[in-house]
Order: sequence, then C-alpha cells, then structure tokens
Amino acid sequence: MKRIAAVLLICAAGAASAAEITVSAAASLSNAFREAAAAFEAAHPGDRVLLNFAASDALVAQIAKGAPVDVFASADQESMDRARPHLAPGSRRDFASNRLVVAVPFGSKLDLRTLTDLRQPAVQRLTTGNPASVPVGRYTKGALEKVALWGELEPKFVFGTNVRQSLDYIARGEVEAGLVYQTDVASQAEKVRTAMVVPTTTPITYPLAVIKNGPNPAGGRAFAEFILSPGGQSILARFGFGKP
Amino acid sequence: MTIRLNIRKALRSGTRNFQLDAQFESASKRVVIYGASGAGKSQMLKAIAGLSRPDSGVIELDGIKVFDSSAGIDVPARKRRVGYLFQDYALFPHLNVRQNIGFGLQRGWFNPAPRGEPEAVRYWLEAFGLEEVAHQRPAELSGGQRQRVALARALVAEPGALLLDEPFAALDPALRVRMRAELDTLQRRLDIPMLMITHDPDDAATFGGHVLTMADGRVAGEGSNG
Amino acid sequence: MDAALIALGLSLKVALWATVIDLVLGVGFGYLLARGRFPGRDVLDAVLTLPMVMPPTVLGYYLLVLIGRNGPIGHWLQQHFGINLIFTWQGAVIAAAVVAFPLVLKGARSAFEAVDVQLEQAAHVLGVSPLGVFLRVSLPLAWRGVLAGTLLAFARSMGEFGATLMVAGSIPGKTQTLSIAVYEAVQAGQDDTANLLVMITSLTCVIVLVAANRLVPNRAQGAA
Repeated sequence: MKRIAAVLLICAAGAASAAEITVSAAASLSNAFREAAAAFEAAHPGDRVLLNFAASDALVAQIAKGAPVDVFASADQESMDRARPHLAPGSRRDFASNRLVVAVPFGSKLDLRTLTDLRQPAVQRLTTGNPASVPVGRYTKGALEKVALWGELEPKFVFGTNVRQSLDYIARGEVEAGLVYQTDVASQAEKVRTAMVVPTTTPITYPLAVIKNGPNPAGGRAFAEFILSPGGQSILARFGFGKP
Repeated sequence: MTIRLNIRKALRSGTRNFQLDAQFESASKRVVIYGASGAGKSQMLKAIAGLSRPDSGVIELDGIKVFDSSAGIDVPARKRRVGYLFQDYALFPHLNVRQNIGFGLQRGWFNPAPRGEPEAVRYWLEAFGLEEVAHQRPAELSGGQRQRVALARALVAEPGALLLDEPFAALDPALRVRMRAELDTLQRRLDIPMLMITHDPDDAATFGGHVLTMADGRVAGEGSNG
Repeated sequence: MDAALIALGLSLKVALWATVIDLVLGVGFGYLLARGRFPGRDVLDAVLTLPMVMPPTVLGYYLLVLIGRNGPIGHWLQQHFGINLIFTWQGAVIAAAVVAFPLVLKGARSAFEAVDVQLEQAAHVLGVSPLGVFLRVSLPLAWRGVLAGTLLAFARSMGEFGATLMVAGSIPGKTQTLSIAVYEAVQAGQDDTANLLVMITSLTCVIVLVAANRLVPNRAQGAA
C-alpha cells in the first residue's frame, strides 16, 4: 500500500512539475514562439515551456474556464481586455507589432493594388479569420468598413477558425486572396506572397500578460521577461514582427 | 434425357482434400447416384445444375454441351432449364407458398404478387393439395408440405430434367415412405427425367432405373434396377 | 434562434445526402465483399473500412488534398465541369459520406453474409438473372442489417465535424453545420448560443434514435 502511494505521489508531482511553464499564444505567433521557447529552455536548464496555439478568443475562453495557463500572448488588445479579470496585476505589456496584408497564392496573376481591387469578379473567394473570434478578422473588418467595402465583400469571405487556417487556404489556392499578417506570409514564403499592405484603423499591437493563479507564476514572469528582453525581441524581429 | 458427364474438380470435405472424378453416361429417365455422405455427390449434382464449376471436363444434357472447359463453354445455371430440389428445400422464407411456387415464372426484378396466382401455379397447388396453405410462409408448414412446395416450384416452369439432392433426408421415416411413393407416381405420370443423389438404399431401390455408386469422388460401377 | 435553425437544416440536408450515397455504395460493395471470391478481397475490405479508424481531421486533410483546386480530382473537376467542391455543402456531403461509409458497409456485408447462399442458388436455377436474385432474394432478406448500418451512418453524418471543417469550411448558411456552429460559438465565448445549439442537436439525435428503434423491431417482438 505504501509503495502504491509513493508511486502515485511521484506521478502527481511529475504532473505539476514546478519547472513547466504553460504559454497560450495567438496562432500567428507559432513559429516565433517555438524558437523563443527553445532559446528560453537553453538559457534555463530544467525549465520546460509548453506551447498552446489557437485563435486569441478561443484561448481567452479556455482561461476563463480555468485552464492552467501561466502566460497569455494575444494578437489584439480586445481579446486581452476580455481576459482582464484573470491577469496578474501590472503584468500586461505590449511586446510586438504586426501589419495586415492582402496575400495571394504565389503564382497568382491578379493585380491587387488597392482594397477596391478586391471587388473584381476574378476574385471569387476571400479569406480571413472569423471576426467573432479571431483578431485578424476584426482588423480586417475594421479596415474594410473604413473604406465602406465590408458589406459588399463579406459574402465572398470564407472565415478561418484561426489565422493560420486562412493562410492555408491561400497556400492551397482555394481562395484568390486573403487578409493575414505580414508575419504569416513570411512563414509560407514559397507558397504565398504579399500583394499589398492594408492600413488598419488601430495599430496592430500584441500584448502579453501573466495569468493570475497560474500553476507556475514565477516561471510565467521569467518567460514574459525573456520575450520583452533584447534576446526575445530579436527572435520576433527575425520572423517579421515589429517593435511594440 | 440423355446425360453425358466427364468432369474433375478439387474438393475439400472438412480437413480432407480429394478429387471429384466422375464419368458416366445414361439415357435412363431415372438415374440414382448412390453413395455415403461426403462422397462428392452434392458437388457433382451442383455441377450439372451449373451451381458449381468443375476444374475441367464436359457436361452434356440431351446432346447440348452445357459445360466444356476446353472450349470455354459454361452455360449459366439459369439457362440450363433444370429443376433442382435442395436437401433442405431452400424455400424463400420471405415469400408465401404461392409466391414460392410461382417464383420461376417471373423473370424480372419483382416477385410474384402475394395474392392471386397464374394458372400454372394453381395447377400445382391443387395437384399437391396445398390450396389451404397457399398464403402461408414456409416456416408455418410441415416437412411434407415443404417438400411438395419445393417440388412444385421446381416443376412449374416445365424443366427438361429434375435434379434431387437427398430429397427425403429431412423427413421422418414414416413420412419418407409416403413421399417416396408420391414422387414415384409423379415421375411416372409426368415422364420427366430425374437424377437423384442419395445415401439411402431404399431410394435407390425405388427410383433406380440406372443406379451408379459413388465413393471418394469417383463414380464407379453401373447397375440396373428395372 | 434563426441561425440555429439554419444550421439544423443544413446538418439534416448534408446528413441525408451523405446517407443516400453511402446506402447505394455500401450495399453494392457489401454484397461484393460478402459473395465475391477474388484475390485482394480482404485488402479491399480493409481499405474501404479505413475511414472508420482514421481520425476525421486526417481524412479531411486527405480529402482536401484530393479534391482541392490543385488536387488530382479537384483540378479535373474544375477543368471539365467548372465544379469546385471546397467550401460548398456538396463538399460537406462528401466529407460526411466518406467518414460514415464503413458503417453501412459493415452492416450490409454482415447482413448479406447471413443470407443462405442456397437461397440465391435456388433462385438462379429457377431462371432469374443475378440482379434479379439480388433484388428479390438477397436484399429483402438482408434489409434489417442494412437499415441498422444506414441509421448509424445518418447519426454519424449529423455529428461530423473534423473532416467537414477541413473540406467545407465554416460558412454560416452554406456549410456551417450544427457541430461546427457549436465549435465556433465556444471559440467566440458565446456560451448561450452554444447551449442552444447543443440542445437542438441532442433533441434531433434522440428523435432519430427513437424512430430507429421503432422501425427496426427487436427479434423478441415478432416473427421475422
């Protein structure tokens, strides 16, 4: 009986290891944060970073339901606002910026220079994230509403559940064009290229914060500091992110 | 009907592999193949009906080749115009008696209607005394009734010959005697060529115009029984 | 509530078409596998059963690769018929049909195997063509097993999510079936909507199952 209890205790201890840091990050941060996590682990032997990528609102929904997260990095201020009750006070900081672009399949022959060009009949399908749950969708809607094109273009849109899914649609040629982040285009550079940069109503800034009552607050703070440090910032820059 | 048969087929009975190697000729209207169970009789009968394909050989019915492996001839069962009586009758459980009997008269994709019957079906219902049970399903019939339905079904389309696979094996002894007599009378009345396989010597005695013995897949010996 | 009913209508439409396709193909292949004696029969059975053991997202991925615009089948369809299946309800039908197919196949194959071969032989000797034998003897005797498999396929199609999402996307009114709508609502933090959709889905499934139990009576209840 004692032996069983000892084994169970060791297993339980392993499950809640103090050296694990759980990070929920927006899908557009996939490549950059994977490398940042590797760099962090190299500099902090014994620590493990667990990454969880999805659309920012989906991550907020998980945190709100009590998911054990230490750090939350989102792609817009609105989703971070929604997570406010769960944030450790004073820990919210902007750590990167991005640009919204119109992207096309690499071999596309379409000439898209202004947003109005998206009205052409040759552009049958567009994609972006779902504005109800994905920041890039909200940026897109804002940008198109500003030039009074949202109403007309909305029927052409196929909404992805996160920005990377939209990127995949473009890479496969299932849509003629889509609105995604500049950094996403860089991640699939052989299949997708930028047609034009889109001015957004608000600057695209990415905030992060430590989650109150997370399983490893000290680890969470350490990771957040790393992202904000020159080392973390240079990794983000290499993937195309701008300064916060 | 004349039948000429010369076939070979590899067979398996349980764990035993053996070779069916049958040759015989007969012009008799009453042929009985007599042999113990597992001798390959059923397989041979199925081959004659076109339900089983020999590995090689020739089968001729009334001078027409229905199977010839060297010439690539294999007439499908439905075109051979033989009637077949299965050992446990193989009556269609989802159809009633008159539908079963009339089955072969309908060549299309639909079964005969459950009520009302064509002339030919009515004839056999009366001949076998099945009018009372015409609307019933096979599961509700007695052993003797089932056999009569199976016979009627085989005969209604006026086949050129009747093949019977141990026709009385499923009946109890008393019934067997009665049905044997009935079939005997029927065959004489219709004068239809009949080929029966059986392991019961009484069957051979009653029906054998031409009796052949079969053992281990080989048809051997001839006999005559008047 | 309107949006929920639209999603329900779409789910029913997709599931109905997928089930019809599966019924035809499942019965055909089920019979072939039950009666056929040809080399590679078991391999064919395994391949046709694969969708049942593969994760739907993996299936969705393969379908996307095959029938997407640049895929072998998708390109051919686009070239010759101008048809594009991605992001359409027809694409959703294909995804659901592929995922649910093994359910009809297995049901049909077992049902046909349970039909006594001698009955089919008897029908042959009586002069009926192979198709006639199938329609008049095999199918009528196997219909219960076939129906059971078909109802399972319908239920599975109603709940299909992973493959459908990949192939048809999530377009409200066009391809956003009930399962996808629930997912989206949860993603967007819209719990009330999610709860309503889940209740509608559950109610529909219960109705289908009750109807199924009435249609396919227990053995104990009456003569076959």
